[in-house]
Amino acid sequence: MELLLIPFLFALVSLVVPSNFVRQFSLLGGIVSLIVTIGHLCSFDTNTFVSILDPSFITSFGLTCKMGYDGMSLFMVLLTNVITFLIILSNYNRDLASNRSFTALVFFMQLGLLGVFTSFDGLLFYIFWEITLIPVFLIALWYGGSDRKQALIKFFIYTFIGSLAMLLSLMAIKSYAKSFSHSDLMAVELTAKSAFWIFGGFFLAFAIKIPLFPFHTWQPNTYTTSPMAGTMLLSALMLKMALYGMIRWLIPLAPEALSDVTYPVVVLGIIGVVYAGILAIKQNDIKRLFAFASISHVGLIAAGAILYSHDNWSAVFIQMANHSLVAVGLFLSADIIEQRLGSRKLSDLGGIAKQAPRFAIMFGALVLAAISVPFSSGFIGEFMLLKGVYSYNWLIGFVAGTTLIVGAVYTLRAYQLSMYGAPKSTPFADLTWNEWLAYLIIMVTIVVFGVYPQAIIDFLSPSIDSLIESVKTINTLHK
Amino acid sequence: MTIQQLIPLIIALPLIGGFINGVLGKKLPKVLVGSIATLAVFTSFFLAVTVFFQLDEAVKINLFTILKLEDFTLNARLLVDNLSIWMVLIITGVGSLIHLFSMGYMSHDEGYYKFFTYLNLFIFAMLILVLGSNYFMLFFGWEGVGICSYLLIGFHYSDAQKGMLNGLAARKAFIMNRIGDLGLLIGLFLLLAQFGTLEYTELADKILIDQIPVSTWMMFGITICLFIGATGKSAQIPLFTWLPDAMAGPTPVSALIHAATMVTAGIFLVVRSNFLFEHVGAQFTQDIMLYVGLATSLVTAFIAMRQNDIKKVLAYSTVSQLGFIFVALGMGAYTAALFHVTTHAFFKALLFLGSGSVIHAMSDEQDIRKMGGLKKFIPITHITFLIGTLAISGFPLLSGFFSKDEILAHALAHNPLIYGLLAFSALLTAVYMFRMYFVVFHGEFRGSEHAKSHLHESPLNMTLPLLVLAVLSVIGGFLNIPSLLGGHHWFSHLLEHNVGGLNKIAEVEISNGQTLMLMVSASVLTLIALFVSYSVYVKKKSVPVEDSQLTGWAKLSANKLYIDEIYNALFVKPIEWISEKGHQVIELFLLNGVISFATKTIDRSGEIVKKWQNGKTDWYILWMVFGIIGLVIYYLVKI
Repeated sequence: MELLLIPFLFALVSLVVPSNFVRQFSLLGGIVSLIVTIGHLCSFDTNTFVSILDPSFITSFGLTCKMGYDGMSLFMVLLTNVITFLIILSNYNRDLASNRSFTALVFFMQLGLLGVFTSFDGLLFYIFWEITLIPVFLIALWYGGSDRKQALIKFFIYTFIGSLAMLLSLMAIKSYAKSFSHSDLMAVELTAKSAFWIFGGFFLAFAIKIPLFPFHTWQPNTYTTSPMAGTMLLSALMLKMALYGMIRWLIPLAPEALSDVTYPVVVLGIIGVVYAGILAIKQNDIKRLFAFASISHVGLIAAGAILYSHDNWSAVFIQMANHSLVAVGLFLSADIIEQRLGSRKLSDLGGIAKQAPRFAIMFGALVLAAISVPFSSGFIGEFMLLKGVYSYNWLIGFVAGTTLIVGAVYTLRAYQLSMYGAPKSTPFADLTWNEWLAYLIIMVTIVVFGVYPQAIIDFLSPSIDSLIESVKTINTLHK
Repeated sequence: MTIQQLIPLIIALPLIGGFINGVLGKKLPKVLVGSIATLAVFTSFFLAVTVFFQLDEAVKINLFTILKLEDFTLNARLLVDNLSIWMVLIITGVGSLIHLFSMGYMSHDEGYYKFFTYLNLFIFAMLILVLGSNYFMLFFGWEGVGICSYLLIGFHYSDAQKGMLNGLAARKAFIMNRIGDLGLLIGLFLLLAQFGTLEYTELADKILIDQIPVSTWMMFGITICLFIGATGKSAQIPLFTWLPDAMAGPTPVSALIHAATMVTAGIFLVVRSNFLFEHVGAQFTQDIMLYVGLATSLVTAFIAMRQNDIKKVLAYSTVSQLGFIFVALGMGAYTAALFHVTTHAFFKALLFLGSGSVIHAMSDEQDIRKMGGLKKFIPITHITFLIGTLAISGFPLLSGFFSKDEILAHALAHNPLIYGLLAFSALLTAVYMFRMYFVVFHGEFRGSEHAKSHLHESPLNMTLPLLVLAVLSVIGGFLNIPSLLGGHHWFSHLLEHNVGGLNKIAEVEISNGQTLMLMVSASVLTLIALFVSYSVYVKKKSVPVEDSQLTGWAKLSANKLYIDEIYNALFVKPIEWISEKGHQVIELFLLNGVISFATKTIDRSGEIVKKWQNGKTDWYILWMVFGIIGLVIYYLVKI
């Protein structure tokens, strides 16, 4: 329970902390959460389920408030807390870091995310899912760049429609079950037709949040107008709720629909990979370019998530972690450039490598990780995911594989146009200690998982196996 | 120490060297940085030699399990046999000489420590590539050398004039390699789907001993995918245009990566997979390989005829020689191919380092038209460059003579027409190499007075590698002397006992009479080329003219057959067009338009209820959440 209480308390207290102490306070919050998570990690047996909250009552409408974690949930909790810490750390020397309400919103967001990943009750999951919308929306609204109103209205409409659809699906499946608890909802026997609609409702919410093509048009504008921390929260954590949701809720609740929907979902995912990748090639705004790159990368992860198997889901988790780390790093790099030069346009940039060698090395290493070179977790994750998609359908696998090529084109282009050549502009201050440390943590983690991914697999395997086992049982029972 | 301990050490040394230089190199003196890097590779070479003499049979070394999944397992495992240790010898041997050379060549460069870090990491990745016991390890090293190649081609990225261009060349190399990599990756997936493993020995057992039935299509698919991977890394048609551009990198890089080692990775891949390529189902792939190699060899030899950049000539020559080797692979002549890989590593590294020494002496000038008469000024470079030129041209009894002859012999046995075309390609090689040699080293100096005053022979750490490589280029051919000259094909027999067996060579033994005929005709062709070039460029003192004055064939050659322009029009431009239009039309107009329409409709309907609403979306969310919380509380209270 302290996992959720800590961010909650920090969110409240940060509203009253003296303003010259807010930075240090937020960093402390990040560290405390991280330490507590590691404590949980050390005492965790991967074969078990640890309950956080299990009130013995069921409300009349079926809310059970069951919370807890298994391997997958704890992995996401760890990811959330590591990434939140990294966001606070990289934001440390920005003006926003001394803003009380901003800091409170970040902790509030952390709370919502942790709730999403530890909810084992459908309604509770939904509530936390909605709660996360508030901080990220307010961060973008209050501290975002120009044109944010337009972008945010679109973002709001999209996610609102998605949420509505999910709520309807949730209500629909609840009508067959005795409570909203994960196990009760999973046990529901659905006809193919009702499974399809229930699947559709959840899927719409997740597809918008991920986002999958063609539900993505809110994303580039929202990412670009949000301040750095907002973009990082959106890309590194918020969309992971949807990918996690696919694995924890979408597939186990309505596996009966899978035979009809797997193909279109995989196709949508891979269209996104290629489409967003090609669009990223000619982007001039570096942040927008990374936004499209993100759509391209998550399309492949979503395809892996729907193709449920032990191997594919392991790959999904590895790649989620990889994407989160890379996204934080890339948006940090974009923000460093914007903050120092006042422009994100590639046409205005050039020659930064000569002015800021440390930044050049770190950004460069990150770019390499983004194009999945050996020794990076992306190399393993992408290999596994492409293998999974390829085994499902060789042609789709081949098309998905072009991400190897297209990804290299847009990522290296962005790096070279900004960093290579003769310096174009005013002096460029090199990395501050907090930026440098953030990069270092990101790179070390990526390399460790790139060399020894088996650590993640061993950690996740029991929980993945048991979930897949139950999905399979349901599916065969109902056929 | 046992082989089990030595091999991991051989791999680890360059990694450690790279790590030390990468982390501390900036603060260390240059001499120390260079020495650490060079010593690391040289020690690896020394250890590899001891392994070579200890090795009786293939040894497997388990390091750790990378991934253990339900469908497949990926192991970090090494396989040491004569093939892999031979590659290790080439990589670390030629590699350490090039490291030594770089200590002199790069001595004025501010990125000195970075250069040696990348160079060491490259050696590390290359060793993983050849020593891995499965295709995943190969792929790991394969991508690793690709990234080092990228970093080293674009090494001078901060250069005010050429920085962006160097970057472009690096990117082009990386992306064209990635196209090939996709082929390789799919080949790996096919292997996994068909056999469930990526281990060489397990695959070879399944195919050769268990004789698992595999459909022709499957075998064709697997081998063609592997070959597509090879065309990327080893610069064959259609993916060869990156290699000439890769000359943007510092010259030692061109010698190490783009001549002696990395570009032979594709050949290594095919040789390693001989048990796949020898399968009946792969015959069609073999033919494709043969013709692609032949076409590449001829086309690039043709382009090399009218290039005036000393490194570009050598680059096209490299592609041409690699094509030559692929012809050998297409005929199943694996040992002949590896033999030529070996001798080519000697003389092409020699020529590149020699060109580096020339460029160094010429104050970074690369245009051969501005050189001339250099033999007086840089005698050691001159004599070693001459040896390299003679060796690559197939001058009798030098290394290139034997290794080329071996491939030509196979071609003759295979199909006289292919022999004819291949011999023609060899003739072109001799012509453009002698042309370059005479233009650079003979006649009068044509550069500026300023350049002339700077002309100097390179220091010992640069000339020493040249001398060693020159000796190897002379005697390298004796590794595999045909029986006509009293030899026993030592090298071919060395590689016989390998995964899948590389013993096909023995079957194509041709008669002594034919061998003699081949040798004589090859020698005659080389000598003709020598005399023609001599009379044109020394006797008549002609100097290559400006490209704009060329016509007909010469113009085509000078403009590289316009292949870059064609690729640009066919692939690059259309994709950029789609990228721009896609953004404008689909994103901003279509998809956005629908949403904006919806937004506007909502706005308009909002007009009606505007009076009750303040229009702030954040408030709406808050209200929504309050609503949800209210509902929850309501129900909780009701219980």
